[in-house]
Amino acid sequence: MAVVQLSRICKRYGSGGPVVVDNVDVTVGDGEFMVLLGPSGCGKSTTLRMIAGLETISSGTLSINGRTMNDVPAKDRDIAMVFQSYALYPHMTVAENLAFGLKRRRTPSAEVERRVREAAAMLGLIPYLDRKPQALSGGQRQRVALGRAMVREPMVFLFDEPLSNLDAALRVNTRNELIKQHHRLASTMIYVTHDQVEAMTMGTRICVMNGGRVAQVGKPLDVYWNPADTFVARFLGAPPMNLFTVPVSGGDRVRTAAIETALTRWSPAVLAPLAAGEVVLGVRAEDLHLSVEAAGAAAAGRIRGRVFAVEPLGAETLLAVETEGGTECTARLPRDTRARVGEVVDLFFRPDAAFLFDPRSTAAVPALSRPGGDPGRAGGVH
Amino acid sequence: MSADATLPPARGRGGFLASRTALAVVIAAYTAYTLGPFLWLATMSVRTTGEISADHYAWPRPFHWEQFRIAWVDSDFATYFWNSTIVVVAAVAAVTLVGAAAAHALARYRFRGNRIIYGILFSSIIFPPQITLISLYQILVDYGLYNSLLGLTLVYVSLQLPLTVYLLEGFFARIPQDLFDAAKMDGYGDIEIFRRIVLPIGMPAIATTLILNFIQLWNEFLFAVVLITDPDKRTLPIGIRAFMGDHFQDIGMIAAGVMISVVPVILAYVFFSEKLIRGMTAGAVK
Repeated sequence: MAVVQLSRICKRYGSGGPVVVDNVDVTVGDGEFMVLLGPSGCGKSTTLRMIAGLETISSGTLSINGRTMNDVPAKDRDIAMVFQSYALYPHMTVAENLAFGLKRRRTPSAEVERRVREAAAMLGLIPYLDRKPQALSGGQRQRVALGRAMVREPMVFLFDEPLSNLDAALRVNTRNELIKQHHRLASTMIYVTHDQVEAMTMGTRICVMNGGRVAQVGKPLDVYWNPADTFVARFLGAPPMNLFTVPVSGGDRVRTAAIETALTRWSPAVLAPLAAGEVVLGVRAEDLHLSVEAAGAAAAGRIRGRVFAVEPLGAETLLAVETEGGTECTARLPRDTRARVGEVVDLFFRPDAAFLFDPRSTAAVPALSRPGGDPGRAGGVH
Repeated sequence: MSADATLPPARGRGGFLASRTALAVVIAAYTAYTLGPFLWLATMSVRTTGEISADHYAWPRPFHWEQFRIAWVDSDFATYFWNSTIVVVAAVAAVTLVGAAAAHALARYRFRGNRIIYGILFSSIIFPPQITLISLYQILVDYGLYNSLLGLTLVYVSLQLPLTVYLLEGFFARIPQDLFDAAKMDGYGDIEIFRRIVLPIGMPAIATTLILNFIQLWNEFLFAVVLITDPDKRTLPIGIRAFMGDHFQDIGMIAAGVMISVVPVILAYVFFSEKLIRGMTAGAVK
């Protein structure tokens, strides 16, 4: 049980070297499953390794349960970590791998035995206890790595992209296993991934990182429906959110040859300064429809463009469209959608499903209401 | 699945058999080439010098087993054997421990001068060790270690250490960093990680250097003959040299002495080769 607090944490390699983690300010609550999410090189793994004690902290303060940990060696932090590469000791059996951390802490052998067997039973590893890692499959190895962390009963669990070496089916199973274990252990867990599906399904909160900085922290659906900027908007969601740089006309509308919508979620006071210039309008692929009826609103927004790709995925069809201005957008449509490449189509959306961003700062323009039309859109930003 | 399913296609089976046969012939020829001199030496070790002179390649008739007793007891081979054992085992142990620790430090820790130290070590491998003979002789004399087994041991350590560090550093550097990080997270410090992770995982490389060093030092002659003068401090290679006079060489006794000296080398190889080398690192990481 632990609260992990990162206060203005920075990581710089060398005196004049690049800053890879820049002023990260995040508090992970007791029993929380926090996911650090971001593209490669965004600093999420470095942040995790600083929490683990495997990287030094250039500046800022890391504390666990109020105790400053900056200078506490990794071995004394009472943190367990699951690595992307599994990092199982090849010369030890599964049982020895599981017990290795406990032995260091002079745990009585009966207790070691009990915890190892308990973890092995929970993870289905009993038949493999006497095997060496090279005799196990990828999924089994990952479970041993998870078990090795679990038997320690640490204050904090860290996961560094633990599923990325598994195949798709195994990844889903292991993901569910991890969720189950988090509910069972109720421990503080910090999980690094670049996979938004993992982040959305596992995290109680997610911390989206970009270029070494925290872009946004919040509950997964809050972040999804209230992205702080265009990076978060496009990083969460597959296909990514469609963005169009368009002028505001008439004070509360967007009207170009390709795109037309009312800006219903923003107050005139907010829109007034934008009226003279351009804004970035965002619409998620799942909010686009081929008819006004399907969009479910009489005053639907509209995007007109020429179809340049149709991707039938079985359960749904992705329609890639290029607007007159040359901007590409993608619509996620029902599986029975019929459209031909080269055809000009109108894609409709509810005006209250639109997002607005400042083209200079890329930050979201504050709205009066949440994006409507989806029950999952309720909730507060943290 | 039938047994045939695991075999190559019928058309390629003939070629497969032919290539396997050719390989077997080559291996047999090479074995005969390397084993032949050893067997010849073995037959000479149980023949007298007179018999060998009469017919170099004859089968022993009778077997003069007493030559081993004469070498061991009358020619003091027991003392030489013991001296060799002390010097070589101590030197190999020191080289292995110090070399492994140094290699681990060079492979794992970033510190100022790391690559310079590595470069100096590597450069010392390039030059023939004989050029250090005179300076080492002088150093041993200065420190009162000349004509002592301790002095010879230290010289052997200095001779073998660079290559050992070089070989082990290359292997240790390939041990995934995640294993060290995992051990740290499991609560282990640097020395414990070296002992519990690096040494066991590095055992194939350590076994290789151990065998190489043991064979090389067990057979080392030049430094031993220069740095040791007392007969009771001689090592085996110098002891064998005692059978060689200016005008007469006791070939039979030399062969018996060589046979005695070669036994530990064979034992070392048999003991350290397969068990320690097999599959130690497979499965460490994906």
